[in-house]
Parts: sequence; C-alpha cells; structure tokens
Amino acid sequence: MGVVWYALLFFSTIFSLRAQPEPTLEYKVKAVFLFNFTQFISWPESAFTNVDSPLVIGVLGENPFGTYLRETVAGEKIGSHPIVVEQYPELKDIKPCHILFIDPDFNHSLKEVPILTPNRGVLTVSDSPNFIKQGGMIRFYTVNSKIRLVINPEPARRAGLTISSKLLRLADIHVQ
Amino acid sequence: MAMKLNDIPIQKKLMRVILLTSGAVLLLTCASFFVYESITYRESTRSQLSTIGKIIATNSSAALAFDDAREGNEILHALLAEEHIVAAALYDVQGNLFSKYPDTLSAQEFPPAPGTDGYSFTATHLEGFQPVVQGGRRLGTLFIRQDMFAMYQRFQLYGLIALGVIAVSFLLAYFLSQELQKEISGPILSLAQTAGKVSQNFDYSVRATKVGNDEIGNLTDAFNNMLRQIEEQNRQITSFNARLEQKVRERTLELEVANQELLKKNDFVETILESSVHVIAVMDTQMRYTIVNKSFEQIYKIDRSEIVGRKYTEVFPQTVGSNIHQDIQKALQGTYVHNPNTRSAIIPGYFESHFVPLKEAGKVYSVLFILHDISNIMEANEKLKVANEELVKSNIELEQFAYVASHDLQEPLRKIQIFTDLVKSRRHEGEEASKYLEKIHASAERMTLLIRDLLSYSRLSRIEEGFVETDLNETMELVKSDFEMLIQQKGATIICPALPVVKGIPHQLGQLFANLISNALKFCQESPIIRITVEELSDSSRKLFPNLPGEEKYWVIKVADNGIGFEAQYSQKIFTIFQRLNDQKKYAGTGIGLAICRKIAENHKGTITASSIPGQGATFTIVLPVYSEVAIPKAAL
Repeated sequence: MGVVWYALLFFSTIFSLRAQPEPTLEYKVKAVFLFNFTQFISWPESAFTNVDSPLVIGVLGENPFGTYLRETVAGEKIGSHPIVVEQYPELKDIKPCHILFIDPDFNHSLKEVPILTPNRGVLTVSDSPNFIKQGGMIRFYTVNSKIRLVINPEPARRAGLTISSKLLRLADIHVQ
Repeated sequence: MAMKLNDIPIQKKLMRVILLTSGAVLLLTCASFFVYESITYRESTRSQLSTIGKIIATNSSAALAFDDAREGNEILHALLAEEHIVAAALYDVQGNLFSKYPDTLSAQEFPPAPGTDGYSFTATHLEGFQPVVQGGRRLGTLFIRQDMFAMYQRFQLYGLIALGVIAVSFLLAYFLSQELQKEISGPILSLAQTAGKVSQNFDYSVRATKVGNDEIGNLTDAFNNMLRQIEEQNRQITSFNARLEQKVRERTLELEVANQELLKKNDFVETILESSVHVIAVMDTQMRYTIVNKSFEQIYKIDRSEIVGRKYTEVFPQTVGSNIHQDIQKALQGTYVHNPNTRSAIIPGYFESHFVPLKEAGKVYSVLFILHDISNIMEANEKLKVANEELVKSNIELEQFAYVASHDLQEPLRKIQIFTDLVKSRRHEGEEASKYLEKIHASAERMTLLIRDLLSYSRLSRIEEGFVETDLNETMELVKSDFEMLIQQKGATIICPALPVVKGIPHQLGQLFANLISNALKFCQESPIIRITVEELSDSSRKLFPNLPGEEKYWVIKVADNGIGFEAQYSQKIFTIFQRLNDQKKYAGTGIGLAICRKIAENHKGTITASSIPGQGATFTIVLPVYSEVAIPKAAL
C-alpha cells in the first residue's frame, strides 16, 4: 500500500506548506487519522458549551505533527463545530478538549490528567504501548508499515463517547 | 385457398373477426403490460442496486478513511450474497483502485478511474458509481456492476406468461366465438339455405324460420313477405298468361279467317289485274316497277322478270322527258292524272292513261297507272277522218262539177235549141238551114265530148284497181305512138330520158302523160320542143310540196314545153275542172284534162304542179313515190 503512503505524503505537503519542522510520514498519517476520528466518533452535546464552540484536538507533550495537524483540520467543521488544534506542553496547560493526543514520551500516568473524568467526552489517543492498560481509549500501532488501531471501548463509553461500529470493525478491540 | 375475404363463409368471417379483435386486444394488453413491467423493473433494479451501493459505500467509509484495504475487501465481499452483482470496487479520493470484488477479477476488468456518480444500463450490465461520504466529506467512490440476467429472466417469465395468457385467451375466444357466432350466423345460414332452396326448386311456398326479433329476424320477415308477394304475383302471371294465350288463340283464328279472306281478295285482284285488257303497272317513288300485269308484258313484249325492280327510265330510256314520264312525276307529287290520248313513246300506238297516286298516311308511296290501248280506235278515227276529208273534197268537187257542168253543158244545148228553133221557123232555106244543122251537129258533138271526158273523170275517182309495176318508159312509148300523127304535123320534138319503174295503174299513168303531151302540143304554134327530165326529190325541194306525207322517197318528173305558157297566178287554177284559160275557139278542149292529171297524180299518192312565164312555155312537175322494190335505173341518177 505504498501508493497510499505517497498519496498521504502528497496530501500532507499541501497542508504543511508553512510547516517548520517537517513531521515524519507516520505522524502525517496519524494526524489525518486524528482528524478522521472526528468523523466516526460522536461526542455528547454536553461536551460543547454552545452550538458553535469548537471541537478541540489537544496535543499533550511534545508535538510530533509540527504544523501538519493544524493544517489538516484547518477550515474543517463537525456539524456546526469548527475544529481547532491546541498544544499542551505540560499537564497544567491542559484545557478542556475533545481529542487528547498524548505524546509517547510524556511520562505521566493518565490518572494524572485532570480532565479525564467520566462524561467529560475526551477521547484519549496515544502511541505508547501501555496506553490501553492505563485506561487509554485508542492506541496507534504499526504492522507491515501500516498503522493500525487498538480501541478500548469501555473508557470511551464511560467518557460518554459513541464510537462508530465501522471504526470498531477496523480496530482491535481491547476487552478488559 | 386464395379466397377473397368477401367470398369466405360468414361463419368463418365472424370467427376471424372475433379472433382477430380479441387477439389484437390481448396482444396490445400484453405488450403494454410488458413494456410497463420492463420499465418498472429496470427502475426498481436500478434503485435496488443504488440502495445496495449506498449501503456498501456507507459501510466502506471507515475502510477508506483509515486506509484499510483488507477491511474494504471484506465489506465488498458481502456482495457475494447478491448473485447478480458481478463486480464491485472502491476507489480512494484520488481515484486509485482501493479494493475490488471478486479478488479473482483482474484490475483491467474495472474502470481505470471512477466515472460520474449515478447508475446506467450498458449493453449487458447495469453499473454505477456511488460516492463514499462520511460526515459530508467524500472519501472515495464505489463502483458496482450487476449483470442483466435477472432482468432477462424476468422478461422471459413475463413473455412466457403473456404467451400463455394469449394462447389460453385465444382458445377461450375461439370456443366462445364458435358458440356465440352461431347466434348470428345460424339464422343467416338458415335464411340462405331457404333462399337457395327457393331459387333452386322455384318453390315459392317455403318460408324461412324466424329466430329472433333482431335485424336478421326483420330480414327473415321481409324475405318471407317477398316470397309471399312473388307467389301471389306468380299466380297472377299464370292466370294472366292463360288469358293471354286464350286471347292469342282467338286472335290467331280471327287472323286466319281474315288472312284467308285477304288471300281470296288478293287472288281476285290478281285475277282482275292479269285478265285486264288494260296495261296496269305500279311504280314506287323511285319509279321502279313493282307490279306489272299480263297485258303489260304482251303490249310491250317484255317479260315481267326483266323489269320488276328496275327503273322505268332504265327499262325504256326513250321515254325520258315524254308525256307519260311527266305524268308519272305529277302523280308522284300526289295528283291524279288522266290523259285521254297519249302517243306512246315506246311502241307505235296511242293510249288513254290514268295515273293514280297510291297514298299511305297522306304520303305517296306508289303510282298505279292504267293504260288503255286506243291505237285501233285512233286508227279507225284516222281512217274516218281521211274518208271524211275525201268526202268533203269530193263534195266540193261535186258542187263545182254541178255548177260548171250546168254552165258548160247548157252552152251547146242552148246553141242546139237556138238553131233548131231557127230551122223550125223555116224562115231560112237551103244553104242556111244546112249551116244551122251543121252547127247543131257540132254542138251535139261537143256535148258528147264533154260527157265522155266527164265520165272518164268521174270514173277516176272511183277506181280502186290494184297497183302494178309500171315501166314509165313503156308508157311513154305508147303515148308517143298515139300522138305520132300530131307530132309529125306539128314537127314536134320530144326529148325523153330513161324513166323509172313505179307502182301504179298503167292506163291512168298513160292518160297522165298523154294529157300533158297533148297539152304541150296544143298550146304550141310551131315546132314544139317537149323536154322531159327525171330526178329524185331532194330534201331542199321537199318543202315545195307541203301536201306530201312523211319520209317517203319521190321521183320528180318534169315535162317542159316552149308553148304560150300562162300567168303565174293561174298555176293552181288550171287543175280545176272545166277551167280554161284560153278561148275555146282558138284552143279546143273541155277543161277537164289537167283536172284528170291531178286526180291521177293524187291517186298515186303523188302530186302535180305547174309553173310558167307567159310566152316562154310551161313546166309541169309530177311527183310520184319511188317504188323501192325495183332498182332505180342508172340513167335516172
């Protein structure tokens, strides 16, 4: 599936014209996946303060996407909610968001993350191998140079998120 | 089998009409149903495929979004349940082939890039492109292709059903119409059968059976009515015929009787026609003979077969313009013409003629002419007329004779009386008396001469002796010898050529010449020269003798002398009896001689004239008919 890769590369170059540190191809794909999650996952209405408040994708720790993620979501909307990307270098920086990507090198337990309370509607995504065990919702992993997903539906359900069955079909489901 | 639609039986015609109509309706119905079904089915097939496409597309959005070709294949694989979907494929948003179904089909079998969204029928398939959209974003395209087998199967089924329906309906229509058409054709056929029977057997007593009160029922009634009328008329005609025949028989009998009478009448008329002494003929308007009778044939000496049907002027061309011709023309104009006396232009003879126009409806169609031959009567009349003329002439002569005789005969008698008176008175003696007696004697002698000449004249008139051939030369010789003495005394010369032979009475002709010679000698003082000439009467001189009849030839014999002659005014008078131009004392004669000459010439159907200049002699011209049986002596020519 090298074609896809090249295609994604082409895609990402369009959106990273202004990118300073060029992300790896892997992260470009992951950035697109992050955006795609907004298509297959629905948030409870309580997650938004009002109808046109944005859907926030937060990156905790080091930003591996550079400007690529920002470029990917620029101008996109979920329903009436525009998508914005925010970066939280430290735990204290965390603000309410809807998708939280946690850098694998971030050395804090998920329990330390303040906003991850039930029904707050925050989807947690990471690359770290222990992420699901810690109670993470979606983890990226790579097989045959293809990025695959592991989904832990229980915490997501608790968070008030509904994951599309189509997405679930693609992913490996972690059963507790 | 090439029967015209008009000629096939009504049963078949009805059947055909019913079957054709129901067949056409069925066919149309099935066809429209078929068309409707096919259109609907196509639409439903398309919408079905579109639904499937939408489902698959929706399901495959995640696979495309998360670049999971395996998942894509899996999703497409679900189409295995739809046996008619033969191919399907997913293209990513860039248009690259992402997944395909079935796996065994090579990539070349699919469109190289997605086409326009939507579904359409190709020649063999129904195929379409369905957008794969998630949350309003297009993630790729689904291609899906379905074979038409199902549709064809469906159409086949429809066709079979339609055929079955048509066949069954047709059969049903056939059997139904076969029964139902009897309702219509049955009465017509029975009517036709009855009509056939009528026309074949001429039996007008049969009647057609009426089935219902529809038009055929009315037709049957009308037909029966017609038959009744024909029967009635037939009866009338038969009885009329019988009466007519009876009448014809009667009329024929009457006609036969009339014919017989007519024949009898015809016979009668024919008998009258044929036995009539009159010439009877009928001519048509073109003057062609149609009927001629026996007398006609006898008188004109011509057979009727030669003239009937021919034209009058053609049979007798000499009649053109004749009186009879004009009379016929007048009769043809419608006028009855009676001509008491017409000279025939065809034969010598006379006819009393009647020309009766025969008319029919006022128009002349023929002319009947009746000719009465009056030739005999005319001849008798002619003879009577001649006899009468002669009688008148002799009467005149007699009167003259009586007058002259009384005068001339009295004269010597008176002398005898005077001298006998003188002798009786005895006053004269001797010489004187004998002188008187001599005178008495001379008077008596003269009287004797007169009486002798008179007798001879009167005898001439009555002479009817037969004519004989007389040679005038011989006659002349006798006359010359009679006058031999006198000729010698007078020293006369007679110049006489050869004379012809004529038919006549020799002694009369002798007397004629003797009188003329005697006259010439008498009225000549000295040496008389008597010149006789003879010639044939020329046409130019014929007019000098107006009394001569017709075309006969005549001799002209002239006796000329050189005597005293006479005044021209007396040239006729000298032939009158007792007419003397000169003194009796100087020239002795009774005045009868020339009268005798004329009589003889006339007796011989000739004439005599005289011409003279006083003192230069006289010429007597005798004209006598040529006796044609004798050759004319050459000298005479």
